[in-house]
This record gives sequence, structure tokens and C-alpha cells, in this order.
Amino acid sequence: MIGYYISLAMRSLRGTPILSTLMIAAIAVGVGACMTVLTLNYMMSQNALAHKDDVLYAVQLDGWDPNEAADTPNELPWQLTYQDATALLRSDIPTRQVAMHRFGFTVTLDESEMRPFTAEARITTADFFGLFDVPFLFGGTWDAAADLSPVQQVVLSKATNDKVFGGEISVGKTINLNGEPFTVVGIIDHWDPSPKVYDLNNSPFAESEEIYIPFGLHRKFEIFSWGNTNGWSHSNEEGYEGFLQGESVWIQYWVELDSAAQKEKYEEFLTGHIRQQKEQGRFQRPLKFALSKPSEWLVLNEVLRDDNRVLGWLSLAFLLVCVVNAVALLLAKFLRKAPEAGVRRALGASRNAIFIQHLIESSCIGVLGGLLGILLSLLGLGGVRQLAMGKIDQIASMDWLMVLAAIGLAVLASLLAGLYPAWRISRTNPSIYLKTQ
Amino acid sequence: MLKMHNIRKSYRTDTIETHALRDFSLQVNEGEFVSVTGPSGSGKTTFLNIAGLLETPTGGQYLLDGEDVSSLNDRDRSRLRNEKIGFIFQGFNLIPDLNLFDNIDVPLRYRGFNAKERKKRIEKVLEQVGLSARAKHLPAQLSGGQQQRVAIARALAGEPRFLLADEPTGNLDSLMARQVMELLEFINEWGTTIVMVTHDPDLARRAHRNIQIVDGQVSDLQHGTIGAAREIA
Repeated sequence: MIGYYISLAMRSLRGTPILSTLMIAAIAVGVGACMTVLTLNYMMSQNALAHKDDVLYAVQLDGWDPNEAADTPNELPWQLTYQDATALLRSDIPTRQVAMHRFGFTVTLDESEMRPFTAEARITTADFFGLFDVPFLFGGTWDAAADLSPVQQVVLSKATNDKVFGGEISVGKTINLNGEPFTVVGIIDHWDPSPKVYDLNNSPFAESEEIYIPFGLHRKFEIFSWGNTNGWSHSNEEGYEGFLQGESVWIQYWVELDSAAQKEKYEEFLTGHIRQQKEQGRFQRPLKFALSKPSEWLVLNEVLRDDNRVLGWLSLAFLLVCVVNAVALLLAKFLRKAPEAGVRRALGASRNAIFIQHLIESSCIGVLGGLLGILLSLLGLGGVRQLAMGKIDQIASMDWLMVLAAIGLAVLASLLAGLYPAWRISRTNPSIYLKTQ
Repeated sequence: MLKMHNIRKSYRTDTIETHALRDFSLQVNEGEFVSVTGPSGSGKTTFLNIAGLLETPTGGQYLLDGEDVSSLNDRDRSRLRNEKIGFIFQGFNLIPDLNLFDNIDVPLRYRGFNAKERKKRIEKVLEQVGLSARAKHLPAQLSGGQQQRVAIARALAGEPRFLLADEPTGNLDSLMARQVMELLEFINEWGTTIVMVTHDPDLARRAHRNIQIVDGQVSDLQHGTIGAAREIA
């Protein structure tokens, strides 16, 4: 009977084209607006590291101003000082650990007509690729020794390798970064988690870096951060060394801890580190640190902000308004067809059969409204991309789950809209219409 | 076949209660052709709606084929209506968007017949009413008499044992009315029990038996050519 009801629904829709178009448009506009906002929220709340959520932790230490807590939700600085990061790197407890920050280099190539360009870089330890499951196309990462000593090696992104070497296997070749030769040791495949969980200090929706450089090169190249650097006191030492040994926080730190025991041990290690620093006059605030899972890190950093959530609720309210309009239109349409329902009742249709028939007609309107709503959502997301000038291209796009969600939402909305009209028509007394038709 | 005992039907508004049927008792035997007459508002249509399971009585007992249908739920009443009862209306009540084939298909769909069985039955009844060539026409493309023949075909497609006709010739000219009446008589001869509400005394006389309803009660019986006297409470 479902097929029969669908054919009746399509016939009915064709029979009242204007009314049907209005209903489909009401659902489509509601779904379109709603899905535009929900898609943005959904994409913003994605956790690219969900598969490692139980083993990865962002590290925060409270070495901040003794007189004033850090201005963050958990009152811990987002990043670590260089001296703390290098101290933590000496621990052998984590399975993997990453100290890193964002930087940039001018890229040139000897004996090449390639125009120099500035590349976004990540200064990081070798574990970065394993800890965040970054896939390699060719080669691999540098030796762990390069994390603490100056080794001029580089890992390129696929896009950079395509740009500089035309996509060739460039492992072993040399490129110049800020005029210094670096040997290519690996090329990673396309990898662009969004939001960029591993670095939410800078734009959470920025693209991944183009080149990756060992952490041990700071002193040689006097590398600062191209992201946020926050501090609360001046260093006693002058110059770059003073910066490295100062209280400025600019290093992001992640660890991989595979078991509860390992985590407990690492927490003891952090406690010991802080106590040791306290003895040296640092860390004058109460002993406090945090290990946050990627999912917790996203929440803590408020990637999906409260105003986004409010906008989500508003869009659902707008959909509700559209549904109420659809209810009125459906009621008008169904009641106009009440005589036909009366005839069907006389010919053997039960109230339930009439109810289901009309509910399926509502669902057909929902499916058509959903498909149109998806087009409107895509238009809406296109508009958002234009407004953001390419900064959030990755999140302002629908994946298949959201396409299915749009259709599901439309069908649900139309079913809700159709419930009362379908119930009304199934409960009307057929004899009224049989005599008067 | 049909036995009603002390059936009552009343309609209530906030201020008025109207008694459409009062202590209405009637028996119709299998194979009978019964005409029902009476002034407007006497309760003829209410009787027909209750007989056709479209309305439930306020009180009394209604036995259809020996089964007490007074207390059946909507699903069972709909199933019985579909299997045992055919309707013919004054206004034909064909669904305007559906062609003749699809109109006749409606009760068969609810019966759950497969496509092959439905097609066979539809073609058969269309042939019986002489409209095989018009199967794909819409009702609006037919004359009133032809539309009523389609309605009869639709009523017959499920091979009901009981046909209820509410002024089936009321909207037809005399020639077409005669043709429809002859068709009903032919159907009755093949064994289908018919109860026909009519205002036309000539048509009423052609039935085996005439029942007159006045003020919601049976006021008179005229015995036709078959059957013995029926008990009236």
C-alpha cells in the first residue's frame, strides 16, 4: 500500500501545483535556513582526533602571574614556556609527545626560476606526525635527535611538494628556508583537520601548515612564534636567550598516554616538575596543571561559541514557524479533499489507512522540500564562504551526513506538519461528504 | 443477512438532540431487493449509513450476516464494509482525478488483492457495465448515466453480498434511470442483496419489498414477490 499511497500523493501534488509549491517552499526555506546554521555548527564541533580521544592530551601548566590567574576558562595558560616545554620533552613517560608552534619561512630553490614565497611552517618535534596520525606519501620524519639539536631537515606538505618540485619524490633534495639549505626528509599526504584541534590558538579553521621543521632549530634561527605569545613578566636575560628562558608562553604541548597508569605516572611527573620549579622561584601560584582530551580541548577553547548555539536554536525556531505555515496549508489542502476521503472510507479504507495516506503525502512534500532545502543550504553556505573570504571554506560545506540530516529534518518537519491535518481528515464523518458531493 | 433491532441514532449539539432513528427494527434476507422510501429528513440516509457501517448507532443491535457489528472497532468495520458491502450514491462519488480503471481499483486496493487479480476484476466489471473501452477516461468525460454505471462497477468489483444504493437514479434522466435500474435488477438476479433508498415510487414498486420510514421509524411494509412477512418490533 505504501507505493499506492506515494502514487496518490504525487498525483495529489500535481493536482494542486500552487498549493503544493507553497508547502514545499515553506519546508524548503525552513530546512535551508536551519541546515545552513546547523551545518556550520556541526562542522565547527567536529573532532578530527576523535579516534584518539582517549589517549591524547593537551598539556597546560599554571606558571602564570602569582597575582592574577590566566584569562582562560580553566585559569591555566593555553601554552607553555620554552623552558617548561624543553623540560617536559626530557620525560620518557609518554608514548609520544609534541612541543610545537606556528612560524613562517621564505622558500627559495637554488638554480630555479621558482618565485620565492612565504610558507606557513610548524616548528615541532618528530612525534608530531605519529601522534596526530599524519599520513606520509614519501619518506618520513626527522630523527628524534633533531628535536633538541639543530638539524636542517624539512617535511613538506603535498601541496608544497607539488608547488616546489612538481609533485616529484623530493626526498633527499634541498630547499632553502630563509636562505638556509634544508634537506627534504618526507612529504605528507593531504592532511587538513578542521577544526585544527592541535592548534586552536591561531584560527581553528586555518589550513594546515605547508612545511614542518625540527624543534631543535630555535637558537640557530632565533625562531619566534607566528601565533600568540603571552607573558606576565620580563626576563632577566637580554636577547633571544632571554626570550627562551623567560615566562612567555608560546609553545603548544601534546602527549600520548596509552593507559590510565601511564597517565597517572605522567601526572606525578608534572607535579614533580612544578614542585621543582617552585623551589627555583617559579610557579608561585597553587600547584595546578591540566591534561585535556581533544574533545575537552575543543570545548575549553570554545570553538563552537555560545552565539553559534543560540543561532542554531533560532534557526530551529524559524523552521518551526515554517512548519506551522505548512500545517495551515496542509489543513486547507486535506480538508478540500475530504469528500474523496469520505468515498475511500465508504469503499473500505479505515481511519488509519486515511491517516497514513495523508501522512505519506506530507512526507513526499517533506522529501521535495528537503531536496530544495539542501539547494538553499548550499546557497547559504556559499554566501557564508563569500562573507568569510575563504577563511572557513572547510566548515561552510555539507558532507553526506548533513545532506541526509537535511532530508531527515525535512521529512520530520513535514510529518509534524501533517500529523494534525491527517488526523483531522481521518476523523471526519464520511457520510457528510457522501451525500453532499 | 441484515437484522436491526431497536436501533437508535441521535445527533446532539449543545442545545438540541435530534433523534434520526428511534427503535428502528428491520430484517433483510439474502437475495432481496428492498426499496426504502420516506419524506426528507425521515432517517433514510441515516439508516443506510448505519447499514453500511459508516455510522455507529447510539443504541440497539445490528447483525450483519449473523455477526453483531454494533461494537466492532473501526478497522473491523472497514474490513467488513470493504468485503461485504457495495455503495452506490446519488452523486456517483467517483474520484475526479482517477480514471475509471483507477476508480474501480480503489476498494480492491484496500482488500489487498494483487495487481493481476485487481486487473481481472476491473476488466470484468467494466465489461458488465459496457464501459470497457472507456477504462482510461476520467469521470468528467462521461455522461451521468455512464458515471453511475462506473460507480456500480466499482461497487461490484469486490463481489459484495450487499449493495446499498442511495437514490442511485436521482441525478439521471428517465432513460438513464431506467437503464441503471435494469442493471440493479440484473445484479440482484445474480444473488446480490440490494437495499435502495429512493424518492421515486415507480422505482420503489419494482423492488421486492418497500419499507417506508417516517420520523426515524419503519411505518409500513409491502411484501414483494419473494420472502415472507418480516417481524417488526
